Amino acid sequence: MAQTINTAVTRTDAPRKVTGTATYAADVMPAGMLHGALATSSVAVGTLTGMDISKAKAEPGVLAVFTHDTLPDYKSVKGFYSGGPGSASFWPMDTAPVRSYADNPSSASYWPMEDVRIRYAGQPIAYVVAQSAAAARRGAQLIEATYDVSESHIAMDPEQSFVVGAGEDSKGMVVTKGDLARGLSSVAQIVEAEYITPFQHHNPLEMFSATAEWRGDRLTVWMPSQSVRTLRAGIAQAYGLAETSVRVISPFVGGAFGSKAGVTPYAMLTIAAAKAVGAPVRLIVTRPQMYTVATFRPESVQRFRLGADAAGRLTAFEHIEIAQTSQFDQVVNAGTHITRAMYACPNIHTEQRLSRSDTNSGGFMRAPNEMQTFFGLESAMDELAIKLGMDPVALRRVNDTDRHPVEDVPFSSRSLMQSYAAVADSFGWADRTPEVGSMTDGDWLVGYGCATATYPTNILASNARVRMQGTGQAYIELAAHDVGTGTYTIMAQIAAARLGLPVGACDVVMGEADLPVAPISGGSTTAASAGSAVHDACLKIGRQIAAQVSAMSEGPLSGVDPAGITLENGVLKAPDGRSQPLVEALASTPAGEIEVIGEFRHKAMTDKMIMTTFKGGYGSAGPVTPEMAMFAFGAEMVEVRVHRWTHEIRVPRLHGAFAAGTILNRKTAHSQLMGGMIWGIGSALHEVTEIDKPRARFLNTNIAEYLLSVNADVREIRVEMLEERDDYVNPLGVKGIGELGIVGTAAAIANAVHHATGTRLRRLPIRMSDLVGKA
Amino acid sequence: MRNFAYYSPKNLADAIAAIRDSGGDILAGGTTVVDLMKIGVREPSALVDITGLAELEGHEIGADRIRFGALARMGHLADDKYLVAAAPVLTESLWKAASPQLRNVARLGGNILQRTRCPYFRDTAYAQCNKRSPGSGCAALDGGETSHHAIFGGSSACVAMYPGDWAQALIAFDAEIHTQGPGGRRRIPFADLHVLPGDTPEVETILQRGEIVTEITVPIVPALKASHYLKARDRESYAFASASAAVGVELDGDAVRDVRIALGGVAATPWRARAAEESLKGKPLTEESARAAGRIAFADARELEGSAYKIKLGADVVAGALMTAKSRANGGK
Repeated sequence: MAQTINTAVTRTDAPRKVTGTATYAADVMPAGMLHGALATSSVAVGTLTGMDISKAKAEPGVLAVFTHDTLPDYKSVKGFYSGGPGSASFWPMDTAPVRSYADNPSSASYWPMEDVRIRYAGQPIAYVVAQSAAAARRGAQLIEATYDVSESHIAMDPEQSFVVGAGEDSKGMVVTKGDLARGLSSVAQIVEAEYITPFQHHNPLEMFSATAEWRGDRLTVWMPSQSVRTLRAGIAQAYGLAETSVRVISPFVGGAFGSKAGVTPYAMLTIAAAKAVGAPVRLIVTRPQMYTVATFRPESVQRFRLGADAAGRLTAFEHIEIAQTSQFDQVVNAGTHITRAMYACPNIHTEQRLSRSDTNSGGFMRAPNEMQTFFGLESAMDELAIKLGMDPVALRRVNDTDRHPVEDVPFSSRSLMQSYAAVADSFGWADRTPEVGSMTDGDWLVGYGCATATYPTNILASNARVRMQGTGQAYIELAAHDVGTGTYTIMAQIAAARLGLPVGACDVVMGEADLPVAPISGGSTTAASAGSAVHDACLKIGRQIAAQVSAMSEGPLSGVDPAGITLENGVLKAPDGRSQPLVEALASTPAGEIEVIGEFRHKAMTDKMIMTTFKGGYGSAGPVTPEMAMFAFGAEMVEVRVHRWTHEIRVPRLHGAFAAGTILNRKTAHSQLMGGMIWGIGSALHEVTEIDKPRARFLNTNIAEYLLSVNADVREIRVEMLEERDDYVNPLGVKGIGELGIVGTAAAIANAVHHATGTRLRRLPIRMSDLVGKA
Repeated sequence: MRNFAYYSPKNLADAIAAIRDSGGDILAGGTTVVDLMKIGVREPSALVDITGLAELEGHEIGADRIRFGALARMGHLADDKYLVAAAPVLTESLWKAASPQLRNVARLGGNILQRTRCPYFRDTAYAQCNKRSPGSGCAALDGGETSHHAIFGGSSACVAMYPGDWAQALIAFDAEIHTQGPGGRRRIPFADLHVLPGDTPEVETILQRGEIVTEITVPIVPALKASHYLKARDRESYAFASASAAVGVELDGDAVRDVRIALGGVAATPWRARAAEESLKGKPLTEESARAAGRIAFADARELEGSAYKIKLGADVVAGALMTAKSRANGGK
């Protein structure tokens, strides 16, 4: 690996972001732009019986008020592409490539403002266009709707759950290996428990927005997006336009976390409104509306039965996940696929179930399959360790495995216990005394807890265009996204390392659908997949330039067999020791520059997977291929303190060690893992979308009352990134890290709270109110 | 937000007249009124900006009382080292409130009048809210989520909680509010400023239209120096109290000569726990007696589903706060 890989490179876009010159989607103001605002339903289920828009239309500055029957050319986007209802549909990675939503026989997608039906609170019911954003919002406030209200419920009922899919579609949703009953009959200890996680919302700092401009039949949309090609495909399909007639631009994204992954009704409403009024329109969704016009993390119940022999070896593993879904979509974040990959066990049974309630459809939120399920699994493992009288780390050790317990293929690499060893060393796990309540400091009860983290390595087809000039400059172009993670920087690093250029000489252009295909930035895919396409482009440049200079009559590589020339750290090398820097070789060619398209296609990718990705869908070949299981692993340890008088729960120390293949940029990778761990503190102790049951509404729809961890909650966070080589996952050896950090944190904290107080809390978030009267 | 007229009077008399003539709301830091205007809960036709009234600025520590101008900023006072030494409960309750950004703009006069955070009050999508729309009902009591609601002082019409912190210190230490309005000047005991919701939760104070809070005074008593504000909240900063206690003690040897206890995060108005105070007077302050006082403070609390945890939590917080105050009375931290 060249010098720029696995080093700490400062973000190339940092100066632009710090100085405010980075142009986000909502910073764009096309000439003559008007402003949109949404009015939303105050009831959850029913029908609109009347809408008085006269006051809204009379408000100064308001130009148009559109309702379900007055908005011409409003198109819904059904199928996987749809972002509200549709895109939430999410099929397991290891059964088949993602199926389109239309393949799902048991539900129907639903879009607002197509008729008078109301199916969730906060559903858009009108769209106001005005000369200013203030006038548009005031107009929306002045719309008076009347409803025929039907009964509704927002909390799911786990007893009304059903198995996801039917027939062939349920493949992978119910999985059995061995004989669970037999496994349970011969155990030394059993843990049987239910763990509950709440509704959560992404709350990205950058608000949802869409700006649409029509010029004849050509449409440009500026919108923060994790998948510009999905967005373009959906829009083009809905309007019957060629994809070449639709531009989708999203150069910077101020946080997404799954909330900006697809085509959303608010985008399509803005596109229709812009067409209707004959001028560009920009909509910025308000913070409260952000809770209902896109997606969220559904609430869930995780039921575990773990049985182990006296040595701690698992003999029975049962996990039933019941997740909330809307009435009209099967939102499947298939966490059982991840938990059953975790520990060796001969008898395994898992079920993926859903339970409906009256909300918009949920979707992906950072570690959508793993956060909830690993709170359950890793809490249950802690309970089992206590019952067995074992150290919790030792319990993980005896159940570690180098083969996938169900699929019976080896892990391409698995550094779980190395992670535990590293974090135990940095944290000082040896100082822990196992007895509950045995560690105190003044008025504080102290507890130590640990948990495993894992995240599947998703790999998707990608292309990238690299143009290199003999003057020492390179341009890297692809339809990938920097959602705040550092993608601009790592793409430049990969090219710089291969081409032998400074990082600053590699100019990366992304965030536009017209660029070469790159996958959705979701599921921690971009570095591995898009990065491998950039890598491939650079190798192609090396081969083509080698062929040219070896055929030339002069030069250091003249006459060498080009098949033997390799590209190492930007230098072309012949077997006989002759060499030439790539940039010099390029400069000596007649054209003096070269442009190639690089490709990443893993051998495990089927044509259907590639086609799905190219259409804007999610065609991952991971995490389980016919040959290998691909996962990143880590371990987290935490110190929790609970105050004797106030019962406040604080986290003075949180350490994590992770192994995720090649680390491209030690600085941005550290930030990703640390950010995930901080969000894990939030999931454990702070975040919950409260609900109003009688009226089926989300309640605390603002970031004053939806508690996000603040600086004062985040004390010492230590991140260690272990060396790990994995030649199978992709040519760079990269596994995704965007979501890995959050996975184990909540369980580690719950386990530490138990260690400090003796109270086992199985519902997130853990609050003071749970400990009052107990500790 | 509804369009509004904006006035910026240059003196108090003009401000009072502007409020009377325009029918508008007072604008100081704006952290409550502008917030409520944006979400459509308040729709005043005018705002009268009083931040130009220099006579309402400042604070000073006198011989027998501390005076605060109504326009003094929360953030400035929280950092005043003389005030920290003289009256820790007053500074602690300020800096544990809100965020630095809010404290830097919010003014004391507005702080004591801040409106409830009841989600049903703040979201106009709920038809039922007697405070916002008198006679419409109470969504919280109609099966709603009540984990942040009042277990003291609520009524069948409203269980909205008073959210403030500083007010607990003021009521504990017998502060007074000084006002000027169309009817002239008044001095109001702080304990009389807020009124219980009863059948008219839309009425929150005894202030008349156009009556402006000009200053707040706090008498200096020995217990003020040995005082403490303990705030229990789920996150470390920028959160409303799940339960809090403003306390102070004066000891005579081991015995309690004077003790003050007020409760935050649990009541419809600022709330003084006089029975708990009485239980301690003349007796030694121990962990046991502090815990007993905490239980007495919450003996009459309403068992409100969702907020039931506040009864035990609040009692523990009172006890913990008293132990810190005792330590301060004995020269500790």
